[in-house]
Amino acid sequence: MNDPALRIRGLAKSFDKPVIAGLDLEIAAGQLYALLGPNGAGKTTTLRMVTGLARPDAGTIEILGIDAQRNPLEAKAITAWLPDEPMLYDKLTPAEYLAFVAGLWRMEPLGAAAEAERLLQWLDLWEQRDTRCEGFSRGMKQKVALAGALIHDPKLLILDEPLTGLDASMARAVKDALRAQVDAGKTVIVTTHILEVAERMADRIGIIAGGKLLAEGTLEELRGRAGTEGMTLEDTFIRLTSGV
Amino acid sequence: MSIGAKLAPGSFAWLAWHEMRLTWRSRSRSGVTRWIGYAMVLAWFGFGCFLGVILSDQPIPIFPGIRTAVLAGSIVAFTFMTAQAMIGSQRTLYERGDLALLFSAPIEGRTVLLAKLLGITGTIVLTYAILLLAIVVPIATLGHPRLFGIVALLGALALAAAAFGIAFTLALAMLAGPRAARTVGQIAAALFGGTVFLVSQIASHSEHRQNSMVAVFNQLHARGIGDNGLSALPGRAALGDPLAILLLLGTGLLLFLLAGATLQRLFLSGYQDGGVRLSRARPTGRRIARLFHAGLFRSVFAKEWRLLARDPALAFQIILRLVYLAPLAFVAFGGRGNHPPLAPGLAFASVLIASQLVGSFAWLTVSAEDAPDLLAVSPVAKEQVDMAKLMAALAMTAPLGVILPIAIALQTVAGAIVTLGCTAVGGGLAGLVELKLGKPGKRSGFRQRRSGSMVATILSMLIAGVFGAGAAVAVFFLS
Repeated sequence: MNDPALRIRGLAKSFDKPVIAGLDLEIAAGQLYALLGPNGAGKTTTLRMVTGLARPDAGTIEILGIDAQRNPLEAKAITAWLPDEPMLYDKLTPAEYLAFVAGLWRMEPLGAAAEAERLLQWLDLWEQRDTRCEGFSRGMKQKVALAGALIHDPKLLILDEPLTGLDASMARAVKDALRAQVDAGKTVIVTTHILEVAERMADRIGIIAGGKLLAEGTLEELRGRAGTEGMTLEDTFIRLTSGV
Repeated sequence: MSIGAKLAPGSFAWLAWHEMRLTWRSRSRSGVTRWIGYAMVLAWFGFGCFLGVILSDQPIPIFPGIRTAVLAGSIVAFTFMTAQAMIGSQRTLYERGDLALLFSAPIEGRTVLLAKLLGITGTIVLTYAILLLAIVVPIATLGHPRLFGIVALLGALALAAAAFGIAFTLALAMLAGPRAARTVGQIAAALFGGTVFLVSQIASHSEHRQNSMVAVFNQLHARGIGDNGLSALPGRAALGDPLAILLLLGTGLLLFLLAGATLQRLFLSGYQDGGVRLSRARPTGRRIARLFHAGLFRSVFAKEWRLLARDPALAFQIILRLVYLAPLAFVAFGGRGNHPPLAPGLAFASVLIASQLVGSFAWLTVSAEDAPDLLAVSPVAKEQVDMAKLMAALAMTAPLGVILPIAIALQTVAGAIVTLGCTAVGGGLAGLVELKLGKPGKRSGFRQRRSGSMVATILSMLIAGVFGAGAAVAVFFLS
C-alpha cells in the first residue's frame, strides 16, 4: 500500500494559548489538497510544523512515509515550501537565487541549470534573469520564489496563499502548473482565502478551525455534511465554520 | 490626556510630537538590556549629581585654551552629528516607509519635512544628552548655571547638523540618483564620522607624535583658533556667554528653518525617486550554467560573497572599523621614526583585528540573512551552512588578516607563523560565536540593529584577548 503524502497524528502546538489541538490529517499522494480555515485557525502553523520551521509540542508528522521529526533532512529533500511572503534575497538575481536553491538541495549543476532556464522562461522571468530582485513587484517575487520551490522537483509541494500578488494570467499559469504537478503524480497542498480557487482546483478540501480538523472531503462530501447541496464552497465554508 | 491629544491634529506641533515620540520609542531595546541601560544611565546621572555637590562651591577653572578645547570638541561632535543626520535622512527617505502616509495626507510638505528634521535632531540630541547632560545638568543646577550654555551649544550643533545632513543627502540624491545616494551617502557618512580621527592620526604621527586629540588641540591653539573672533563662540557659549549662546542657537535654528523652507521640493522628489525601480535590467547574455556550482559549500560561499559585494556600504562600515586601528599601521611599518616596531604588540593586534573582522562578517552572514526559512526548510544541516558561512567570513578577512603577520615576519618568521595561526584560530572562534549566537533578520533592517548580542561581543573579546596574548607571548620569546 502506498504511503500518504502527509500523515499527521495528534499534532499540538501552543504559543500563549493552544493553536493546534490534537490535529489528525491524512492527505493521499497525487492530489491537490486545499487547506482552508478562518484567520488564526492554525493553517500556517500546521504547515510550518510540517516543513520543520516550527517544533510541535506533541504528535507525529510523516511525509511519504518518512518521519519528519526523526529524519528531517530526508523529509525536506522531497518537500518544497512556498510561504505567502517569498523567501528571497533582494540582492541576488533570479538566476543566482535558483543556483543557490539548487546548491541547498545538492542538485547536479548542469541539470539544475537546464531546469532553471526552463522555469525562468515558463514563468516569463527570462528577460529579468540577471536583474536583482530588489526592484521586483510582489508578483514577480512570488514567481521567482515559485521557481525556487519547483526547481528541485519536490514530491510534496506546500504553498501558503500562492496566488497573492499575481496578475490574472500568471495566476492562471500557476494554477495550471500546480495541476500539472498533480498530473505528474506529485502532491500539492495549498492554503487560500480565495474559496473559488479551492472550489475549482482542489481534489479534496480540509477545513480547520480552532486548531482542529472540522471537516474533510471532496466538495460534494462537504456540501452533504453542511447541508448546502447545490451551493458554493463559500456557503459551505461559512456554514461549517459559523459555530466555531 | 496625552500631550499629543491637546495639539491641533495635522499641525506642525502635532506632527513634531509624533516624530519625537517615535524617536523616543526607537531608542530602547527590550528585556534585560533595557534595564541594564536604565541602570547605567541612572548611575551616570548619580555620578553627575555627586560631581555637582562636590563642585557646587568650587569655581570653574578657566585654564588657558579652554575655549579652543571646546571648539575642538564641538568640531568632533559636529562631524559625528552630521554623519548621524545623514544616516537618519536616508532612513527617513528610503527606509521608514511612513512618508507615503504623510504625503498622502492633507498636510503641507514643508510641515512634514520640518517634523522629520526635528525627529532627526531629536535622535542626535538623545545620543549626546545621555552622555553629556547627565553630568552637565546636575553641575549647572547645583551652583554653576552658566554651564547650561553647554546644553544650548549641544542644541545648536544638533540643529545645524540635521540641516546639513539632510541637505547633503538630498543633494546626493539629486546628483547621483536614489540608488547611488544610498550607497555613497552611507560611505560618506562613515568617512565623515571618521574624518577628525583620521586627520588627527596623521597630524599626531607626522609631526609631534602625541596623542591624536592633543595634537589637534595643540595645532588649533598654536594658531590662536578658538580663543578669538567667531571661532571662540562655542567656547564662550559653553561657558554661559548669553550673546554667544544667542548667536549659535540662532544660527542653528536659522539653518534648520532654512533647510525646511528650501528643501521641500527636493525632499518630495527624493522620496518619489526612492520608490522607483532600483535594479537595472541588463541581461548579460551569458549562459546561466556558470552560476550553478556543485555542492552546498560553494553555493553558500558564492551567495555570501555576492551579497557582500552588492552592498558596498555595509561592507565599508565593517572595514571602517579598521580606521580606528590606524595607529597600528604606523607602528607596524615603522611610522614612529627611529623606534623599532614592537612585534609582540603587533601579534596581539593581528589577532584582535582578525577576530573583530571575522566576527563582524560572520555576524553579517547570519544576522543579515534575508531568507532564514529557506535554509531551514532545505535538506541540509544547520552546522554545514554555518561552516560554509564561517569559511566565507574567514576568506573575506584573509587579505587584511595577513598584513600584520607580514610586518612581524620582518623581525621573526617563526613569530609570524605563530601569529598567523593564532589569528586564524582566534578569528575562526570569534566567527563561530557570532554564528551560534546571531539571530537572522532582514538585510534591509540590518543597519538599524547596529550590533550583535552582548554575550557574543564579550565572548569575542575574551577570545581575542586569550589568543592575542598567546601570540604576543610567543612572539616575545621568538624575537
